[in-house]
Amino acid sequence: MVFNSCFDIIGPIMVGPSSSHTAGVVSVGKFGHDLFGGVPDSVKITFFDSFAETYQGHGTDKAILGGLLGLGTDNPGIKHAFELARQEKMNVSFQLEENCPYYEHPNTLLVNMENRFKQIEIGGVSLGGGVSKIFLINGQPADILLNSKIDIGSIRQRYLQDRR
Amino acid sequence: MIGMDFHTIEELLQLCQEKEMTIGELMIETEKQKTGKSSDEIFDLMKERLLKMKEAVESGIADPSPAPSGISGGDAYLMQKYKEKGNYMTGSLMVDAMKYAFATSETNARMGVIVATPTAGSAGVLPGCIFALKENTDIPFDRLVMGLFTASAIGYVIANRAFISGAAGGCQAEIGSATAMASAAIVEMRGGTPEQAANAGAMALKSLLGLVCDPVAGLVEVPCIKRNVIGTSIAFASADMALAGVESRIPFDEVIGAMYDIGKSMPRTLKETALGGLAATPTGEEMRKKILGKPCLKRA
Repeated sequence: MVFNSCFDIIGPIMVGPSSSHTAGVVSVGKFGHDLFGGVPDSVKITFFDSFAETYQGHGTDKAILGGLLGLGTDNPGIKHAFELARQEKMNVSFQLEENCPYYEHPNTLLVNMENRFKQIEIGGVSLGGGVSKIFLINGQPADILLNSKIDIGSIRQRYLQDRR
Repeated sequence: MIGMDFHTIEELLQLCQEKEMTIGELMIETEKQKTGKSSDEIFDLMKERLLKMKEAVESGIADPSPAPSGISGGDAYLMQKYKEKGNYMTGSLMVDAMKYAFATSETNARMGVIVATPTAGSAGVLPGCIFALKENTDIPFDRLVMGLFTASAIGYVIANRAFISGAAGGCQAEIGSATAMASAAIVEMRGGTPEQAANAGAMALKSLLGLVCDPVAGLVEVPCIKRNVIGTSIAFASADMALAGVESRIPFDEVIGAMYDIGKSMPRTLKETALGGLAATPTGEEMRKKILGKPCLKRA
């Protein structure tokens, strides 16, 4: 089961306009931010299928940047994510593709995050109602629901061979 | 069925009967068991959401300006003016529901803060119904919070057995689910039985089966906002039918199954890609070009 709580249905409290194309994507970005351990110097984002067709209208681009900058779903700053990214000197590029080769769902994206020391790539899917899942970390299949408690330390250990 | 959890409407009704609880009360018990939180904590979290909904409604009515796209906005204000004139046909409750649904969905289109119920695209239906009941009856505030628990239990089953996003299942998965949730909530808030609530939900969802997701320019505005508004009328009509004793001839679980099958067989062009339906009409295409400065990315 993907939806585990009454607050997965009545919620999230979020900046509009779309729970799947905005809030769910903020969560993927926020996970990326936390996994990376801060704001990356450079991000490459690939939108697939429905995301690729409608990202502008739904603010999906602002949503992913907002999340990567560490903002939560109800943060009004998401509206100004491009400006905030510039202030943080985060280099941003977008790519649009038809179908995601790693996960069969219309609302999928890949996020590549980089700085001088590391590079991490995650794949996320927005399942509806603001609930999302991470299905890929650095080429390894993953299955991390973002509406449950997340232990970033153990995820790093498992997927990034983090020896710290 | 593990402990208090439920996966179908049938199981939900069975549990309500065994425990002699309403659907809303049972949802709180389930949440308690899953999270270890107290009833009060859970109730307060839901109350916080209702208060956020109230803020979204208030800011929506107060702001008659158009959304950044220019294709929506100002209609909550028009409904407010119309209500004040007093010459409406459907009645105060219905007109208020329309007004509050407009207000929430317009706030959503402006990238304001709303509560997804179950999604942002369908966030207008439930607050529309709830605040209309608040305005037109003497229902206590806590009972409105309980209505949100009823609604969430219905949405919980639908989301886990079918879908609640337009991209996965079309608009029937969003407005259909929201309207079913709202109508079941209205029944319980009005003192109806869990069975009546389930019948209302089934009738509401049945009347929206097959509805496609075809947003102009991919924006959650045209036709999404007005579908939220109309959803409130369907929710109240279904609730009234159920409270009168009318039953759905097809059980709610089977209606949810049908919604899933229909969504699976819907073409990609009609599932939130903005490639078909109203999005592909000459006027829809014209709006897309004007707003986004481009034709469709890819013709499917």
